[in-house]
Amino acid sequence: MQVTDLKLQNFRNYQKLQAHFSSGINVLIGANAQGKTNLLEALYVLALTRSHRTNNNRELISWEAATADLCGVVQRNAGTIQLELSLRPKNKRAKLNHIEQAKLSSYIGALNVILFAPEDLKLVKGAPQQRRRFMDIEFGQMSNRYLYNVTQYRHILKQRNNYLRQLHFHQAHDLVYLAVLSDQLAAYAAEVIYQRVQLLQKLQHWSQSIHQEISHQKEILKFSYVTALPKDKLTSVESIYQGLRAQFEANRDKEIRQGATLFGPHRDDLRFLVNGKDVAVYGSQGQQRTAALATKLAEIDLMKEETGEYPVLLLDDVLSELDCERQTHLLTAIQDKVQTFLTTTSMSDITMKLIHSPAVFRIQAGKILE
Amino acid sequence: MQYPEPVAKLIDSYMHLPGIGEKTATRLAFFTVDMDADVVKNFSQALLDTKDKLTFCSICGNLTEHDPCAICSDPTRDQSQVVVVEQAKDVMTMEKMKDYHGLYHVLHGVMSPIEGRGPEELNISSLIQRLQKNEAIKEVIIATNATPEGDATAMYLARLLKPAGLRVTRLARGLSVGSDIEYADEMTLYKAVEGRTEM
Ligand SMILES: Nc1ncnc2c1ncn2[C@@H]1O[C@H](COP(=O)(O)OP(=O)(O)OP(=O)(O)O)[C@@H](O)[C@H]1O
Ligand SMILES: [Mg+2]
Ligand SMILES: [Zn+2]
Repeated sequence: MQVTDLKLQNFRNYQKLQAHFSSGINVLIGANAQGKTNLLEALYVLALTRSHRTNNNRELISWEAATADLCGVVQRNAGTIQLELSLRPKNKRAKLNHIEQAKLSSYIGALNVILFAPEDLKLVKGAPQQRRRFMDIEFGQMSNRYLYNVTQYRHILKQRNNYLRQLHFHQAHDLVYLAVLSDQLAAYAAEVIYQRVQLLQKLQHWSQSIHQEISHQKEILKFSYVTALPKDKLTSVESIYQGLRAQFEANRDKEIRQGATLFGPHRDDLRFLVNGKDVAVYGSQGQQRTAALATKLAEIDLMKEETGEYPVLLLDDVLSELDCERQTHLLTAIQDKVQTFLTTTSMSDITMKLIHSPAVFRIQAGKILE
Repeated sequence: MQYPEPVAKLIDSYMHLPGIGEKTATRLAFFTVDMDADVVKNFSQALLDTKDKLTFCSICGNLTEHDPCAICSDPTRDQSQVVVVEQAKDVMTMEKMKDYHGLYHVLHGVMSPIEGRGPEELNISSLIQRLQKNEAIKEVIIATNATPEGDATAMYLARLLKPAGLRVTRLARGLSVGSDIEYADEMTLYKAVEGRTEM
């Protein structure tokens, strides 16, 4: 799929923008603080209704405005879709082809994007939240069912944690209700964990070949889903559900003491193994980057497998973070296949010579110079 | 400049209503200032009557002018079934269907720890007492909304009531009648498939 047109009004430092993009590689070039990342962010927000940099809508709206409006035209196999998103400090409204979508879950997925920023190279070594967020964002775009289950899960988790705290402080006493919340949480948790394991297996398939190529056939990349349940329990939703229920039951007093839910997708993690060894622990910095790069690139193929179309790729300052060889791998993986937006401060980057016929946009102070 | 006190107070009052912010409240207040005195008098009396003339039925928790309510005091109603709903307005909705002739029980909300509502805050203990006292009741039909909180409340009630040998059922959920599968959103369909029934 591709974004052919984008209109912004009062988004960050773009008071008014109207742009038409190429289906190949779009290069956003400009000095620091001119709005390159803001433009990528606009595409990201248009797709997911939230930013990768902030949870606060206010920051996305131009300082002197009350509303930010984003409008994009997306070309998909099945036809053209118009996406409209209106952001206010406390709420947002989303429309598909002029029809307002009451549920954001029916809007998300119309445009699929993958963002790759320098932080993503720390996917392997960074904090566990980063890897959980990675799974939730990417799998949520591929699967409506995943998005639904993970949203319900988070909501019930808040209720359960709140009730555990009340039990802890003796403000509440009903253990039957706690058991109900545990069962309810376990049901959605089981769906989320099962889908994560399934999708990770598919992602692993795609990333292995990319990884082998970058590492010159020397290394084999594997993912391992880290959870408190034993591996043999992960084979069906039902057995994960039963496993989690048993854990909640066995650890009831401990959870009440801590006033928090100690098991479930919000505590799980993802490990990267190269030739059987945990790269976060034993790998060199180069190996960690290679694993992260292969994983991000594999997402492109997995998204194609799951949704039938390639997503739109957003590359924020990543090229300058990669050595020449890895840059070449990245570009061969996407060139002539995936619509890409990439930011850079200078055209003299080596990579620019590797891109065939880029569409170049010069960004200055929230405007595209003609 | 400040609004005269009566106007300011009225704006403040309107803002207690759900979904009304300061802007709308101000518009409504100035609209009220322009209304006929009679209309305003009736309006304010109607507001007061909701407190003076209405109470909750001591048996089922429904809103009523006379306790017990008309439904609870009607001997021709089927005494073996009780539909449990979240709000009094849900009773009206069920009654409009004209096809249900049993009794009701109003919970006055659903459990939501975040909003400070646990089992004790709902009209549940009176339901238990009612079921213990009244041998005629054989089935409890839970009609809470299909939200996570409505689900949890239904599960909770089922756990309390089933051991007493009562039949506990939940309203079916899924596709609305007359709606085309093609237009149902994916999650509704997924839930409808999950909750499919034997034929
Ligand atoms: N809500 C807002 N309203 C107006 N301007 C904003 C808003 N938020 C950020 N900005 C401005 O946007 C600019 C930053 O833009 P952006 O992050 O896109 O820079 P960039 O071109 O990616 O730069 P770099 O090369 O340093 O990454 C800053 O000058 C900032 O003041
Ligand atoms: Mg930037
Ligand atoms: Zn009554």
